[in-house]
Amino acid sequence: MTGSWRRTAARFLGDRAALMGASLILLLVLAAVFAPLLSPFPADVAEFHTANRLRPPDGVNWLGTDRMGSDLLSRILFGARITISIALIAVGSAVLLGVPVGLVAGYYGGWPSDLLMRVSDIFLAVPQIVLAIAIAQTLGPSIENVILALSITYWPFWARLVYAETRSIKNEVFVESAIALGASSLRVMAMHILPNIASAIIVRTSIGMGATILTAAALGFLGLGAPPPAPEWGRMIAESREFLPEAWWYATAPGIAIFMVVMGFNLLGDGLRDILDPRIRRAVGRHA
Amino acid sequence: MKRTVIGLIAALAAAAAPAVALAQGKYVHANNSGYDNLDPHAIYDVGRAASRINFYDGLYRWVDNPPKLIPWLAESHTASADGKTWTFKLKQGVKFHDGSEMTADDVVYSIERMLATKKGASSLFIPIIDPGSTKAPDKYTVVFNLKEASAIFMSTVPEILIVNAKLVKANEKDGDWGQAWLAKNVASTGSYKLKRYDPAIGFVGERFKEHFAGWGPKAFDEIEFRTVLETNTRVQGLIKGDFQGTDGYLPYDQILRLKQEKNVQILEQESMRVFYFSVHNGRPPLNDVHFRRALAYAFDYDGFINDILKGAVARNPGPNPNNLWGAPKDLKGFAFDLEKAKAELAQVKEPIRPITIGALAGFSESEQSATLLQNAAKKVGIEIKIESAPWQVIQSRMQDREKNYDLVPLWKSTYYVDPNNWVGELYGSRYLNTRNYSYNNDPELDKWINDALATNDQAKRQELYEKAARKVTDEAMGIFVYNTKWYGPYAANVVGIRFCPIGSGQDMRWASFK
Amino acid sequence: MRRLEMVLSRLAWFFPTMAGLIVIVFLISNVIPTDPVRIVAGENATPEQVAALRVKLGYDKPIAIQLLNHFRDVLSGNLGVSIYTQRPISEDLAKRLPATLELSITALSLAILLGIPLGVVSALRRNAWIDQVLRVISVSGLAIAAFWLAMELQFLFSMKLRVAPLNGRIDGFGPEPYTGFYVLDSLIGRDWESLGSALSHLALPALTLALPAAATILRFARAGVLEVINSNHVLYQRAMGIPPRLIVWKYVLRNALISTVTQIGLIFGVLLTNAVVIETVFDWPGLGSFAVQSILQSDHKAIIGFTIWTGGLIVVVNLLVDLLHSVIDPRGAR
Repeated sequence: MTGSWRRTAARFLGDRAALMGASLILLLVLAAVFAPLLSPFPADVAEFHTANRLRPPDGVNWLGTDRMGSDLLSRILFGARITISIALIAVGSAVLLGVPVGLVAGYYGGWPSDLLMRVSDIFLAVPQIVLAIAIAQTLGPSIENVILALSITYWPFWARLVYAETRSIKNEVFVESAIALGASSLRVMAMHILPNIASAIIVRTSIGMGATILTAAALGFLGLGAPPPAPEWGRMIAESREFLPEAWWYATAPGIAIFMVVMGFNLLGDGLRDILDPRIRRAVGRHA
Repeated sequence: MKRTVIGLIAALAAAAAPAVALAQGKYVHANNSGYDNLDPHAIYDVGRAASRINFYDGLYRWVDNPPKLIPWLAESHTASADGKTWTFKLKQGVKFHDGSEMTADDVVYSIERMLATKKGASSLFIPIIDPGSTKAPDKYTVVFNLKEASAIFMSTVPEILIVNAKLVKANEKDGDWGQAWLAKNVASTGSYKLKRYDPAIGFVGERFKEHFAGWGPKAFDEIEFRTVLETNTRVQGLIKGDFQGTDGYLPYDQILRLKQEKNVQILEQESMRVFYFSVHNGRPPLNDVHFRRALAYAFDYDGFINDILKGAVARNPGPNPNNLWGAPKDLKGFAFDLEKAKAELAQVKEPIRPITIGALAGFSESEQSATLLQNAAKKVGIEIKIESAPWQVIQSRMQDREKNYDLVPLWKSTYYVDPNNWVGELYGSRYLNTRNYSYNNDPELDKWINDALATNDQAKRQELYEKAARKVTDEAMGIFVYNTKWYGPYAANVVGIRFCPIGSGQDMRWASFK
Repeated sequence: MRRLEMVLSRLAWFFPTMAGLIVIVFLISNVIPTDPVRIVAGENATPEQVAALRVKLGYDKPIAIQLLNHFRDVLSGNLGVSIYTQRPISEDLAKRLPATLELSITALSLAILLGIPLGVVSALRRNAWIDQVLRVISVSGLAIAAFWLAMELQFLFSMKLRVAPLNGRIDGFGPEPYTGFYVLDSLIGRDWESLGSALSHLALPALTLALPAAATILRFARAGVLEVINSNHVLYQRAMGIPPRLIVWKYVLRNALISTVTQIGLIFGVLLTNAVVIETVFDWPGLGSFAVQSILQSDHKAIIGFTIWTGGLIVVVNLLVDLLHSVIDPRGAR
């Protein structure tokens, strides 16, 4: 077991894309954790200096100021906290809800599983963002509601994924032999099936984090995200719209921040796929 | 095939060339909201004023700034001593677009239609005119019989827009007063005839040459009002020459940008459009005058007006616009003072809870004023939550006592030129559930407002409205911020725009190209 | 045979799925603290006006009855009237569908034209610098927030260079409406001015929409090609001395195409998702901006209308993809 993990770790370190992805994510985490120390003006998250509004980047405000005169760099650093908590909690709860549903439905089959899958179909019948907007709008703008809207609309994806994976290995010899040896269903699911589909889940979690950050930013952009004065990246971009083309810096910085983080998760996901999930290798035969 | 390709290239070249080939005499206006309905009795908002004002005529008409009421379809009027009977003499020989003559019957039909369909401006008349009470003793005389004296009746008469009764009746369906038909068609005497209409795009009007009021020598042959929601597109289109005009309430940053362009002119007028925080006075702790005063002291008026709006507007300390009678000249209003805010807050007896502001999505001034207040209020210990929503949503919630937000930063525009439009409608309990969003129920204030409506004595009315304005301001029933200036952006070659706070300068019959 | 079964079951499940969606949307919209009747009634309505309208529109009934009534209406093909525009929702949707289709078909074509050749090149030059560059680009394409890209393109091409319109679908009223597709309509009507205007308005939103799709297609095409190249079949042919160029054309390209086509249903879903936000940024009068507006204005019948149409659209696209797939890959009765 340890040997295989060591091999995996070695592969990971050998994969430039995955490493780069991991470092981008590390950057995000550092920004979020040390935002108060890194920010030149930590108070600017909730403090305005209307006389300083819309200043282009200079030696004081490295990324310029926004429409209320707050330092954009400080706000972006604090915004990392919002982004990371939305992504972690939303994807986390979607996974926690979707995986057991998919596992049970895939393992037992029959009409309850059909029903579950049909329910997930309902959610998948329209673009996720539309339902997320509708739910976020209903609940009112707040970080908690964005998280709720994203997890409610995202769990069916995981249920579907795990359902398909479970179905495909349910009839494998090692599962059948475990059942024949009298293992309980719970034990079979937890000890035999789950570990074998874990890599697929991990890979998609990473990519799903990126996708969720994009959707959350879109909600913020449409005015349904964290309410002001929260330094939410999508909202900052929306705010900047009416100040273009003069305030070119206003949208640029939060846009690049989103890009870097999503890129990080996508690269990491790609790398992990190569390492963990040989069936769907990005470049077939690349490691051969 | 080859020809298609050449045509395509030619088309692309034509698209790339600067747009100078506009039809002579066509004025294109970019509007910031949609024209989903042309029925003059169904709509009554500032955003869609252009279709009402350019397609329809009333008995009287508002023009210029300060606004003047001039006889229009009527040539004169008289009022009885008790202020209840109003007799209008109509002009003779006024033609509808279909050539038939406009008579008193059309006026009677129009007011009955408003009272029956109960939409748009009808709420101005429902309380004072009973259906069937308006008479046409002869072809050119109309008599309105009011239930009670109403000093503002004359200011609201221009809102009774006259439709062609015979034509509308011919298009009635299941007793709908022709609502379905008139939503997409025009039946009037108005300055322009409807040429083309698409609710998603806008309308084109063609000059009605036989209009009774006559025409200037260079008046536009065609006017087009197009819906362009995005501010930046309107501004860019104006610079490029695609549009000859757009709305005069753009964010000031955009006005500054437009001022640098040679082919654009900015007309300036002091408007009557008060920006204020509507405060829900009927709910604790906002029903406590000290809490409201604390909020009024916690708004940074100078920072907002001078920094965020770059001094483009004038401070307006009370509910009535400064440039209208009924606004006390010496009214001081509140100033930003957190110490005083804390002192007021200390006197509040009810427990203090977090306050919710409903900001108008897409109107950055509304959102920025909300964040500014939120920030300062936090320093004195009031938590504020901001929810942004589109205007329709905000408005529908404001009309409901329970669902209303605690505060809403917004504008009160001119629907008719009388202090009652501001202090009366916003704080008089007779307007509860319609335009009184403050849920204010103050007997003293009500008495002043009702007395001012019941008399035609101008000096008395002024005194009453000034008293009302003082009380509303002093007790911070709203947080009053500024009165808007109108910066009308037009192509440099447009002349003759007659701005009036009603219609915001969109009455195109007076304008032309140089 | 299997395919027919799949098609039938897809169709059979369409209705219950939509019914479920209607219930969800209906429940969501009934929690919203906004009163649709007041929105219809307008700013100056008196309480009596509002009450009368509530009865007229059926909003005075209990939610369950409203839901049943709405089901009945939807089944009879009546999606109701939009609160906000006061027009029949089907009419609005019918007008907006061509706008969304015109945009997404243009974007999809752009994405295929970009994605497949680049994917093939990337696979054939595996691990060369060009492959590395393309891979970075394709990962980036999926990491950019679409609304941000849209704004930056507007900033550059519309505001700074002023070569493209900022937003909208056309200047003015557009060409004579034969099909609702402006490019097609102006060709039919030989309305060159409209054609120029339509094309220039299409450019930026189509580009924004195409980029993430092109990135996806590039990845699938690359994987598809690599799979063939490594297959015994191609090795055999190579051994037989068949010129590599012919192999590329005959087998590799076709395979790249096939692996892309199977994914078009998925890509189309991605396009629709992005269109929701991009149409809003570009003020494009399509289904996506309709959805956002309806939701923000709590126009729940309009939301349901949109949901049904988009759900239907996705089913139709998937059916078409199945058909297309069986044409270009007859052996794939998987």
